[in-house]
Amino acid sequence: MSLNTEALPKSQEVTASPEAAPQPWEPRIVGFACNWCTYAGADLAGLSRLQYPPSIRLIRVPCSGRVNPQFVIRAFQRGADGVLVAGCHPGDCHYSTGNYFTRRRFLLMQRLLEYMGMDPRRFQARWISGSEGPKFQQTVTQMTEDIKALGPNRKMRDVE
Amino acid sequence: MITEKIRAAAKELLEKGEVETVIGWERGTFWYNSTPVFISKPEQADRLVFDDFCANNLAKYLLDYRNADGKIAVFVKGCDARAITRLIQDNQVKREKVYLIGIPCTGMKEAPKTVSSQDVAGLPLLAKCQSCATPNPVIYDILLGDPVPQKEVGNRFAGVEALEAKGADEKYEHWGKLFSECIRCYACRNVCPACNCRECAFDANGLNWLGKQNNLQENQMFNMTRAMHVAGRCIECGECERVCPMGLPLMDINRKIIKDLNELFGSYDAGLNLEDRPPLGQYKLDDPEKFM
Amino acid sequence: MKTVVKSKISALLDEIAKEFNLLVPTAGDGASKFAPYTSGGQVSLDGRTLLPPKDVFFPQTEKMYKFSTDGMAGSLETLLEAPKHQMLFGVRPCDVKSIHELDHVFLTKGFVDEFYQSKRDRTFLVSIGCNGPAEPTCFCQSMGVNPQESDAVDVHLFDLGSEYGAVAKSENGEAFLQKYASFFNEAEVQLPAISEFALKPDVEGITEKLQQMFDHPLWEEVSRKCLGCGACTYLCPTCHCFDISGRVAGNQGFKFRCWDSCMFSEYTRMAGGHNPRPSKKERVRNRFLHKLQYFPERYGDLLCTGCGRCLSKCPVNMDITNIIKQIREVELA
Repeated sequence: MSLNTEALPKSQEVTASPEAAPQPWEPRIVGFACNWCTYAGADLAGLSRLQYPPSIRLIRVPCSGRVNPQFVIRAFQRGADGVLVAGCHPGDCHYSTGNYFTRRRFLLMQRLLEYMGMDPRRFQARWISGSEGPKFQQTVTQMTEDIKALGPNRKMRDVE
Repeated sequence: MITEKIRAAAKELLEKGEVETVIGWERGTFWYNSTPVFISKPEQADRLVFDDFCANNLAKYLLDYRNADGKIAVFVKGCDARAITRLIQDNQVKREKVYLIGIPCTGMKEAPKTVSSQDVAGLPLLAKCQSCATPNPVIYDILLGDPVPQKEVGNRFAGVEALEAKGADEKYEHWGKLFSECIRCYACRNVCPACNCRECAFDANGLNWLGKQNNLQENQMFNMTRAMHVAGRCIECGECERVCPMGLPLMDINRKIIKDLNELFGSYDAGLNLEDRPPLGQYKLDDPEKFM
Repeated sequence: MKTVVKSKISALLDEIAKEFNLLVPTAGDGASKFAPYTSGGQVSLDGRTLLPPKDVFFPQTEKMYKFSTDGMAGSLETLLEAPKHQMLFGVRPCDVKSIHELDHVFLTKGFVDEFYQSKRDRTFLVSIGCNGPAEPTCFCQSMGVNPQESDAVDVHLFDLGSEYGAVAKSENGEAFLQKYASFFNEAEVQLPAISEFALKPDVEGITEKLQQMFDHPLWEEVSRKCLGCGACTYLCPTCHCFDISGRVAGNQGFKFRCWDSCMFSEYTRMAGGHNPRPSKKERVRNRFLHKLQYFPERYGDLLCTGCGRCLSKCPVNMDITNIIKQIREVELA
């Protein structure tokens, strides 16, 4: 139980450098997408052949309000370089109010993560509706760029 | 003497049969240990004491009496009363099932270094009492003693602000060092009146939210989740920090969350009155919007 | 007796650290504990540490085996650390007794725990006596411990005020004192008197009495204030319950063991959901019966050394000495 960020496993994602491996490091982003808006928005982005980096892994949730702060910590533990929570715009929630609670909860969570030493850019929340394929594309592109600039995440990572 | 008053009050309630149990404090191992006690017979009321060492928040014990038939009387200081308000708001305790005996409190003292010196006046206040904003109970059926004046407490977020000003890696280092010390005895959780789930996510083994290994990652998961779970419900009684055997500054996390809640959603002090609902259990249409 | 002045101890430790992996009591940031010695670093030889030395032999989390599969083939590896010579310096007599109790559990009755044994065998023990209670909550004398002297060690140091008096208690200890003879003088010494302990629980006949008290209402009474946290068991030098669990990722994984506490509700919960110790009454009863009845029945020793850690750190001042007193006051029909 020592604090040693140097003692991370020599897994490819962490140590790969351009000379050592042919594949450049790509961020891994875990995205929690609400079933009714963002997931449909992502679908639209795909159907519209919009190009965005393959860095995001989407997990479909019934509502952005379903996302528990523990989901976020667990994602970082298991190797995510960034986490995105995305749902319907305020006022458009399929369940009327779920995303209003999400908004409060994750505003707070983002600040707590920052307080714990995590760069807040690694955790984002966005409102992306079913018709906003381009916004989904832009969000993923932007977040990937930001995290690329930050480099691989070592904080809160499970060393085992 | 306040101790005589609380004994008399307890005795009367039990003799009249108004309550089935009185929860208070009694003398513990040494003169500076006051420990929770449960009195159900009038003749036992003389075990009760109230002195400078009754730091335990008794509200938590009401959860053990959720299914009691009769009423339970409990002595409440300012912080304990706020805890009870919270438990009533969470529907864990019914107001009509508890009889609250309020005691204005000037703050509890730290234990001395040796048993022999009996100089109570010279002992410092507990850290949790130094920044107390509610010395008088906010909810009670009877109040023993006169309300005490509110102290000047200064900026209770000073410690949080100092930490916020540090760099990201410095902060991570700071918390990592502390969380590595955590032995995960769960004293902080078990003493906390805001932790009132019937089954804690961390005890539900099958769900596997928390591995049983004691390492930095699992300890981070535990401590951050605990803080988020009591967000908006922490009454700042400081019991978690007081009971931590490893002396971890847990209130630095709880206060950070309180500070942010105040900044983001308006000033809120948990447990001050029954009508104000906790900030994460409600929303406003015009909450700050950072996620567009 | 061989004596060494206290001011020379750090020079002695510097020498020892060249030969041994040396663990000493340190004040630490939050809690005092045994930690690797660093020259010129903190050594706190007054009083007992908050964390007992049990984790030196029995770490809170310990990887035991790792395994992997490759198609139909599999491999299993036992993760026993290569033995390094280590020294535990400055153990108090209460903690020496606790190591003795752990030896019972992990090394006797036909069960030998190789993980414990590998660390235990390679550890050289140096104890330091107390001339009275190190903390107000100490009561080792009542639990059959001589606060001034330990025998089940390699070298024992008597606290003589400005110096330590050293006695070898094993052959290794003899060799050790010879090797570092330059630090020691020969002197006639007078052991100081042991000062009075505030707590003196009487454990005479307690095991026999408890055998008739399983269903006694006392347990309901004493357990009421317990919060069900594990501070007492995790700080206890003798509590040794553990859980074995594992983690698998892809085609590989590992098994680990970690401390567990009988005070936690999930400790006895079975796979189907039934819990034979459903409330704190059963859990508190089990803790005290294990210490005062079951363990003595099996090994002939109380599983309490009187170090007083549980009682000083319990959030609600659950006091084992008081419970012993209450058990004695019970009149059995």
